[in-house]
Amino acid sequence: MKIGIYFCNCGSNIADKISYTAVVEAAPSFPEQTYVKTVNFICSEEGRQQFEESLRMEQPDRVVVAACSPRDHEATFRGCLTNAGINSYLMQMVNIREQIAWVTEDPTVATEKAISAIRGAVYRVRLQQPLERKQLEICPDVLVIGAGPAGMKAALSFAEAGRAVVLIERTPFLGGLPVRFEDLFPSMECAPCMLEPLMGDLLHGDYPGSIELITMSELVELTGFYGNFNAKIKQNPRHVSLHKCIGCGECVAVCPAITHNEFNFSTNDRKAIDFAFAGVLPNAPFLIEDACLRSNGGNCRACKDACPLGQDVVNLEEAETVVERKIGAIVVATGARLYDASRIDGLGMGRLPDVYDSLQFERMLSSTGPTGGVIKTAAGLVPASVAIIHCVGSLDEDHVPYCSGICCQYAFKFNHLITSKLMNATITHYHRELVVPGKEAFHLFNNAVKDDNSCLKRYSDINDLTVTPDEKGRLIVRAKGDAAPADIVILCPAVIPAEGADKLSVLLDVARDSSGFFRELHGRIDAAQSTIKGVYLAGACQEPMDIRTAMLEGMASVGYTLAALQPGRIIEIEPINAEVDDTRCAGCHLCISVCSYRAISFDIEHNVSNVNAVLCHGCGTCVTACPAGAITGHHFTNEQIIAEMEGNLK
Amino acid sequence: MKQKPKLAVYWAASCGGCEIAVVNLHEKLLDVDAAMDFMFCPCLMDTKKKDIESLPDRAIAITLFNGALRTEENIEMAHLMRKKSQLLVAFGSCAKGGCIPALANFTKNNELLHSIYIDNHSVDNPAGIIPSGTTAFPEGDMQLTPLLERVKHLAQEVEVDYYIPGCPPEPHQIWNVIETFLAGELPSKGSTIGCGTLTVCDDCDRTKEEKRITAFRRNYEFYPEPEVCLLEQGLLCMGIATRNGCGAPCTKANMPCTGCYGAPEGVGDQGAKMVAALGSVMDIGDTAGLSEEVISERVNAFLTTIPDYSGLFYKYTLASSILGGRVGR
Repeated sequence: MKIGIYFCNCGSNIADKISYTAVVEAAPSFPEQTYVKTVNFICSEEGRQQFEESLRMEQPDRVVVAACSPRDHEATFRGCLTNAGINSYLMQMVNIREQIAWVTEDPTVATEKAISAIRGAVYRVRLQQPLERKQLEICPDVLVIGAGPAGMKAALSFAEAGRAVVLIERTPFLGGLPVRFEDLFPSMECAPCMLEPLMGDLLHGDYPGSIELITMSELVELTGFYGNFNAKIKQNPRHVSLHKCIGCGECVAVCPAITHNEFNFSTNDRKAIDFAFAGVLPNAPFLIEDACLRSNGGNCRACKDACPLGQDVVNLEEAETVVERKIGAIVVATGARLYDASRIDGLGMGRLPDVYDSLQFERMLSSTGPTGGVIKTAAGLVPASVAIIHCVGSLDEDHVPYCSGICCQYAFKFNHLITSKLMNATITHYHRELVVPGKEAFHLFNNAVKDDNSCLKRYSDINDLTVTPDEKGRLIVRAKGDAAPADIVILCPAVIPAEGADKLSVLLDVARDSSGFFRELHGRIDAAQSTIKGVYLAGACQEPMDIRTAMLEGMASVGYTLAALQPGRIIEIEPINAEVDDTRCAGCHLCISVCSYRAISFDIEHNVSNVNAVLCHGCGTCVTACPAGAITGHHFTNEQIIAEMEGNLK
Repeated sequence: MKQKPKLAVYWAASCGGCEIAVVNLHEKLLDVDAAMDFMFCPCLMDTKKKDIESLPDRAIAITLFNGALRTEENIEMAHLMRKKSQLLVAFGSCAKGGCIPALANFTKNNELLHSIYIDNHSVDNPAGIIPSGTTAFPEGDMQLTPLLERVKHLAQEVEVDYYIPGCPPEPHQIWNVIETFLAGELPSKGSTIGCGTLTVCDDCDRTKEEKRITAFRRNYEFYPEPEVCLLEQGLLCMGIATRNGCGAPCTKANMPCTGCYGAPEGVGDQGAKMVAALGSVMDIGDTAGLSEEVISERVNAFLTTIPDYSGLFYKYTLASSILGGRVGR
């Protein structure tokens, strides 16, 4: 076997400390037939040319390059081998610059070390085998998680670009949080009206068939990588066919079972089979199993029998299913929720009936809400005074450290809506800071400031505020000596990541920040990219934001995805991966637990583990872990590693 | 009449369990006797060393040599049996890898003898005598063979043709080897025979799932589920890193495998492999956001549930391991 050893001087970087001639003199003691050549800067254009020419002339069976770190130039030199017609995996690099020349004072010692390291590489490279990269065409389709503003915008735009989209949504309906609101800041648009065209397009727009909407679903498993993900999606039973139902509501009318309407925070009731709210899209009811008479052993089938479209629309036996979809990229648009204001004890949230958080109050304002849009106390009275408490849990080391950014704006929207509905009501804002940036937000702010019935009071610590009922049951807001009555108290809690973000981050292997939001690859340069290639972020899952920003984020994620995920683009699969020897595997399952990439599956029939070469990253964890020695790490076999050590220690 | 091939079974530093395993061939012993001349076995018959010395070289067809090499006498007998045998087989884990006797390599001989003869609750030795050297008796001088500095396995002293693992080897596997030998079908020299090529998991019927272990438990602490992998239940079962062929009698009896068949084919160091495997399935919970100190504490808390690293991981293979006995604990 002929082994070519190429020694890079790296100018004086290496040559000053390591003697090339000493390496040449030592070479005859190495095994096999070796030759040693030196190149001044082997990575330079000229150096690469010399290297390639020499390879062509000498036709070595194996190559050792003694130069810099393989992190710098392994790919470069592999390319040179390929150009010279030699399989690029027949080369071994020795890092004699960073690991020897730069860190060794004495040139004699450095030279000794280098000879030892090169000898190790010669021993190792003898055992290296030619490996071939496999190629895989990327899948151009996309999974969008969450059908709020960001997710809907993204899904629709993907469809417009001709991509197939799987849009999964945990709730039974489209529209995320804003679809629950009546009017939106800054310009008091009707939220459902604004979102309706978008939702309508998603359901039956110009791109039918290219968007697959799966409601009441969640991602439960993800394998693969950028361009080649495999997603398992759990779909909870809706019991009503989205394709066949026309939303006539006959089933709702006959349903005998009543339950709390969680969509309105249980402030009113609904039927077991019912719409989430009037005008919901998709326009189909869903059945809450626990509330249905059948869950208690009954055999009611009133809804099914009432359906004018036949027996196939309502499926009372429907069970949870898991579907698998192959996609190339994922947009995470799982949104946000409110901090639990009851954790700030003095504010009475959850204890006092007329203390509402902002989402509950949005529902009270909504014409599809529990009061049909009428502002009234729990006792049904028209409130004469309203307190709005800002910064509940925000900018607070004991709760969340950041400013939630959107609360002031909706608080002044509330101010506007309350004054227009209740002419004489007084409104008091308790705020710690005021945040109304941008070119539009000041309108609502100014309205509140100029309004005679409204006033702003600043507090410094949320614990100084208390909401307590007086002897007549009327709420009193106290703030350090100041006390004012309020018939209704609205809290504006901090915005925090949606429920399940923790679970999803583990599934996707995407990092989150200390507040639990998904972390951007770079907060400014790449704010719509996650830390994992092929997983993009959009909307309030990455930080609190308004609808405008969420929509733009949705578009940004589309831009990133389309730029990278070109149909026909090829992904090369690194052949440095693990392989199980069937004849040595005893089926102990240990490797499956250690694989971070979910690349190992178990073949029950043959009682052996299998490594999926496409998913394997070649990290070697399973190779080390396999107690039977049945897994080989290609290019890093035990024999190669031990040979290198032997060579080093000779 | 053609002479039957001679069979010898010799013991060096061993407990006698390997001889019991031979006797456990039961009526198959008659078949052995019919096919072979079972002529030497100090445990079972009265042939003497001088009888062996008087044999021509290579007169014995096959010697099953069990026990580790603890004394100079063991060395002498190893050489003698090598010289007189056509095939010398390291029979059982002591001859193959040192086994229990080799655990003495963790201590020095004087410490070992002190523990046995002086600092020992069951010994009454007011004069503090440590037996050694030559002692005069009316019948004549008695010489005690000196201990070696380190316990060796057979192949560290003489050339070994085959290895049969087990503490002791399972009788059905001993019979397999004898049959294979008689049929002239032994594999290439240096092979490990009388065993499988996989791990004990292949012999063990328990169901295996993904493994995540939060702490180890000892046998006395609970009754393990009879159908579930013992390792998954927190028992330190060595089956995953142990050569099969025994038929997994221990796990079938609700006891974890202690690893007596040694490393599987292709694995160099059983103990190191077991440590690597356990390190991979050790579950110390979610470490996101934890400081290095806290993570380190959790790892240590996990490790304290393993009572005796060397005694567990190297019970059968210390003499042949890369450790060789240089570490503490």
